[in-house]
Amino acid sequence: MLLREVGYARPATVEEALSLLAGNDGARALAGGQTLLNVMKQRAASPEVLVDLGKLAELRLVGVQGMTLDIGAMVTLSALMRSSEVEVSRPILAEVAATVADVQVRNRGTLGGNICVNDPTNHFPPLLVALDATMTILSEDGERTVSVEDFFVGVFETAVREGELLTRVSVPAGGGGDGMSGVTLGAHGTYIANAAASVDDGRWRIALGCVAAVPVRATLVESRLSGVDVDEADVRAAVEGLGETLDPPSDVHASADYRRSLTETSVVRAVLQAAERASG
Amino acid sequence: MSVNEPITSAVVTVTVNGTESEHEVPVRRLLVHFLRDDLDLTGTHIGCDTGSCGACTVHLDGVAVKSCAVLAVQADGATVMTVEGLAGEELTPLQRSFHEHHGLQCGYCTPGMLMSASALLAENPSPSEDEVKVALQGNICRCTGYWNIVEAVVAVGKGEAA
Amino acid sequence: MSTTETTTATETTTLQKGYVGQSVPRREDKRLVEGQGVFFDDVKRHGMGYLHFVRSPYAHARIQSVDVSAALALPGVYGTLTGDEVAILTDPFFQIAADPGGQVKDYALAVGKVRYLGEPVAAVVAETRELARDAAELVEVDYEPLEVVVDARASLEDGAPVLHEDCGGNLSYTGVWEWGDVDGAFAEADHVVSISQLHFDRFNSTPLELDGALVEWNRGTGQWAITTNNQFPGFAVIMMAPAMRVGTDKLRMITQDIGGGFGNKITSHPQLVACCLLARKLNRPVQWTEWRTDFHQSMSHGNERWFLDTEVAVQSDGTMTAFRTKAIDDAGAYLRYEPLGGVIWSQVAPGMYRWRNLRLEFTQAMTNKAPVSPNRGYSRMQHLWFTERIIDIVAQELGFDRVELRKRNYVQPEDMPYETPNGCVYDSGDYPRALDLALELIGYDTVEQRRAEAVERGKLLGVGIGSTLDSGTNNFGQSQLLNPELQFSGNNEVATVKLDIFGEIVVTLGTTPQGQGHETTAAQVVADILGCDVDLVHVRAGHDSYWNSHAGFSGTYASQFAVTGLGAVKGAADELAEQMKTLASMVFQCPIEAIELADGFARIAENHEAALPFMALGAIPNANNAGFPVDPPPMNARFVFRPQFDVPDKEKKFGNLTLTYAMQIHACVVEVDPETGVYEIVDYAAVDDCGVRINPQIVEGQVMGATAHAIGAAMFESFVYDDEGNLLTPNFYDYHVPHALDMPPLKTSSVESPSPFTPLGTKGMGEGGGGGIHCVCAALQDALRAAGGALVTDSHNPYHRVWDMLRHPERSRDTVEVVKQ
Ligand SMILES: Cc1cc2nc3c(=O)[nH]c(=O)nc-3n(C[C@H](O)[C@H](O)[C@H](O)COP(=O)(O)OP(=O)(O)OC[C@H]3O[C@@H](n4cnc5c(N)ncnc54)[C@H](O)[C@@H]3O)c2cc1C
Repeated sequence: MLLREVGYARPATVEEALSLLAGNDGARALAGGQTLLNVMKQRAASPEVLVDLGKLAELRLVGVQGMTLDIGAMVTLSALMRSSEVEVSRPILAEVAATVADVQVRNRGTLGGNICVNDPTNHFPPLLVALDATMTILSEDGERTVSVEDFFVGVFETAVREGELLTRVSVPAGGGGDGMSGVTLGAHGTYIANAAASVDDGRWRIALGCVAAVPVRATLVESRLSGVDVDEADVRAAVEGLGETLDPPSDVHASADYRRSLTETSVVRAVLQAAERASG
Repeated sequence: MSVNEPITSAVVTVTVNGTESEHEVPVRRLLVHFLRDDLDLTGTHIGCDTGSCGACTVHLDGVAVKSCAVLAVQADGATVMTVEGLAGEELTPLQRSFHEHHGLQCGYCTPGMLMSASALLAENPSPSEDEVKVALQGNICRCTGYWNIVEAVVAVGKGEAA
Repeated sequence: MSTTETTTATETTTLQKGYVGQSVPRREDKRLVEGQGVFFDDVKRHGMGYLHFVRSPYAHARIQSVDVSAALALPGVYGTLTGDEVAILTDPFFQIAADPGGQVKDYALAVGKVRYLGEPVAAVVAETRELARDAAELVEVDYEPLEVVVDARASLEDGAPVLHEDCGGNLSYTGVWEWGDVDGAFAEADHVVSISQLHFDRFNSTPLELDGALVEWNRGTGQWAITTNNQFPGFAVIMMAPAMRVGTDKLRMITQDIGGGFGNKITSHPQLVACCLLARKLNRPVQWTEWRTDFHQSMSHGNERWFLDTEVAVQSDGTMTAFRTKAIDDAGAYLRYEPLGGVIWSQVAPGMYRWRNLRLEFTQAMTNKAPVSPNRGYSRMQHLWFTERIIDIVAQELGFDRVELRKRNYVQPEDMPYETPNGCVYDSGDYPRALDLALELIGYDTVEQRRAEAVERGKLLGVGIGSTLDSGTNNFGQSQLLNPELQFSGNNEVATVKLDIFGEIVVTLGTTPQGQGHETTAAQVVADILGCDVDLVHVRAGHDSYWNSHAGFSGTYASQFAVTGLGAVKGAADELAEQMKTLASMVFQCPIEAIELADGFARIAENHEAALPFMALGAIPNANNAGFPVDPPPMNARFVFRPQFDVPDKEKKFGNLTLTYAMQIHACVVEVDPETGVYEIVDYAAVDDCGVRINPQIVEGQVMGATAHAIGAAMFESFVYDDEGNLLTPNFYDYHVPHALDMPPLKTSSVESPSPFTPLGTKGMGEGGGGGIHCVCAALQDALRAAGGALVTDSHNPYHRVWDMLRHPERSRDTVEVVKQ
């Protein structure tokens, strides 16, 4: 509770937002505030100015353009759960959103905020890596797109630079089958370990959360599974040894060894889920 | 209304429980402190400092939010409903159901529980037990173990509250 | 689902059934569901300042200097308080401990040294909450960090860093508790099982409302009015007044609603003293609200306990004859209620079993962690967990059936009242019957089939039993077993009942309820005695020491209201009834025996026409008293309930330490994922016996709450420290408490064995004895039998620990040995 003194602006347009972000030292975008305000309560972060994106309706759009699903950065997790476009074109996004924290957090927390934080335990960073997402970033200098691989830079650090805004997350519409699995601290709680998997036409993308500062691709597992009609034994064989290649942190909820093991199991379960959906 | 130059305090206009009023607030003031300390609506409670417990849940433009993770300035122009706004002359069926099913002990989490549950019922008038649990997942109760709370909300949906 | 079964009633004076025994919906609820409760933080005063504590970032350090000048320079700051000032203005708090613990110097703020992370070092008061925190950040404290000790076992070793130099080490209390012929029993035992180490983890029940107060200083009368949520004001003023060098009546303690307590709100007296000093210094009301992280770091952790070198003597038929063990209890950095944990466990020394020969060496250590204080099930829970672990480990190692072993060794219904080897008296109960009920509720007879089905789904299924006691109504004389110099003994509680001018019945309590429904149950008892509608009885909400309805042990803690609180209510109501009948007999000029109280009238039993409504009775002494030849009775009764206790024998550590023994049997079924260690409780039952239940719904609510706390402690909740004394679980992110989706389905049932020792046949209840911890541990051990047979040796089993047990069953197996086959 009890934040430090802070400035506040609530722009009406994206242009205004960009100029506020560029024009004020220590300015920070305020999306749903579900992470940022909580960090400010601990006085662990103290931006000079909050630029509230709340009124930027254009960042709240969800739409399908050809084979791409575009989701505005300010789309809340609750809106993701309810979006018919998401349901039709990439339902895993809604499914995962439904297991993040709780109703109140989902009502305010946004997809953009969830990935801009890049908390290694957050749900969406690994999922979006598995889904091969593309991020659209805007600044006063114009728009650029960044592949999901390049988006996550470090803990709480992304490709979004000072003065920039993430405006949109795009993922291929359709896809073959997606899965996400992990172990949380209590139901709908923080992840201790997780894996997201996506398969399309025998090509796999598998991403691991909670094991490093950014989501980690399990490329060896991906290639072992490539083109195979997987059953559980294949998947277990493909995942074998994955843990040893990882260097996850130890903390109060899991030792590094436990995380390695949970990660392997999560991959098996996420892959089987994705495979089943791909075939079903 | 947009604010296109950074400010550190603002005059906000909010409609709380049906009454509109204007207040000058520092930007850093959280909505929950504004409701409790500035508007004297002390029914909204605080049980943590991480956005975890839900004791401060209110409806902001009809949506359940944790008022400890919203700035008071963000409520400018909005409609807020707190626990004090639930009952009219009589308790609502939800409030009565909490009473009948012994869905509260110390009563500290109760306002937040009621706000989460009433948001659910507005959307889904007869929720299942699981739907109720999902809707209350953001509200911590340390007295009841939740069983009677869940029962109380399900009963409202079944029209069992007297 | 719930069922009730009544055992043959021991003889007792129960009221005629009226409101008592019914689930009268609670009086308290209306204001609480409307958001109209009054919690301490809801109260405001003109000109009040907000207090923020400056807290230590170190677990152990010498304070070189404290500089408040920058804080004072901030506009809107009203003033500050430092440890140096506190050391001048107050004396150290009185210590319950004899030496060495008696040498601890504990003040409202750290003096000279800090001994745990989060310890208050200075306090700042300012115009707004935010500003107070800004100013607190400007207070400059120079620390010289010292070596830290967080493990109680290590803190007792030579060369360990010493927290309190005056104590000469970290030992606060040690004593040997031995009854019966322990060596003889071991010599004659057919089997001896040894368990090298068991550990009961550190957690607390984390009430949702945190500590705090609004303190007003009255310069004219020299009195402080303290609106606070302290749940044992009787104890708080005993601690505060001498330290502040004032009489206890100078501290007016006021409470209306409290947002959960669970014992964790007993030891806020240091912070309250800081508030009082600042209110006086600044001559303005001072408001202090504690935040979640502050609470986790600095307040009221539960007692962590080790049981080392345990040995159990068992006969070949399964009869348990003796145990011996060495308990090491971790008190944290200060002894705020300790070392009382060093005796409280002995209320339940043999658990629910007929052990006659016991030896327990109890040693309590101080460490650089937050101070402990009572937590739901205080000190008995740790010990009962230990006895339940013994049963299940012995059963597994010697091949006994767990149910049979329990039934063979339980104190039997025909033994009641049963005197334990240390002189405690278990009042009543039918433990085997309650166990049968619990097992029936979880479908025990189908378990093997469900186990096989679970295996097909790749899961390990286990069933566990936790049998536990909820002893209530302390004999504070037990404190003398730790420190013979103490002048505390017995117990008491106060209530007043009066008839007001218009016939309203007004009840005041000495208690400080935190959700236990005292306003409701007290009204039920009074209405039955006075023969009136329950709605005529107004029970004042909360506690105010101005009401003169409190005594030294007043408060709400330690499972006793149904005995002491309602005992006082009954006493006062009986007295008022007598006064009302006397007055009616004066009016009707008839013998008092002819009068009855019924239907809201005092009337002649044989002639209902001759009836005085309560209003007429209330008016006479209050406003219409002319013409009476003698004084009309005052229609106002104050009663102090005092249970019959003797001071225990200090030499033999023998005597009755509590009046009643409620009992709970918990049973559960878990399913473990052998790949991840993740487990789920899939079935759960709790059977309670607390004697006569005044309000069954309230009783069931307490059973549910205790169950939830125990499940949380078993699976998720732990205060974990690193070696530097940093708390790694300082908030609800990392200290996960169960949420709605985490709770298993629950079935409850009850047995009613009235207590022969209490006025209403009731027993104190509510703490629940940690039954859920015991049964989850047992169920896990059962599930793991098929996967290497690890033994559960810790009370707290998060997923990672279960995974470790699955991978390394030998680690726990190696700690247990059958030394005599
Ligand atoms: C109790 C609790 C539990 C939670 N548990 C989980 C969990 O288990 N898993 C999980 O994934 N999440 C969890 N969250 C986090 C939640 O999902 C957050 O909402 C989310 O991570 C942040 O979204 P936000 O919109 O609130 O962002 P904010 O908090 O407003 O912003 C977060 C950061 O992102 C930046 N930012 C936001 N949007 C943009 C943008 N468009 N362009 C540039 N920068 C931007 C902000 O400047 C800030 O630095 C939890 C939150 C709470 C309160």
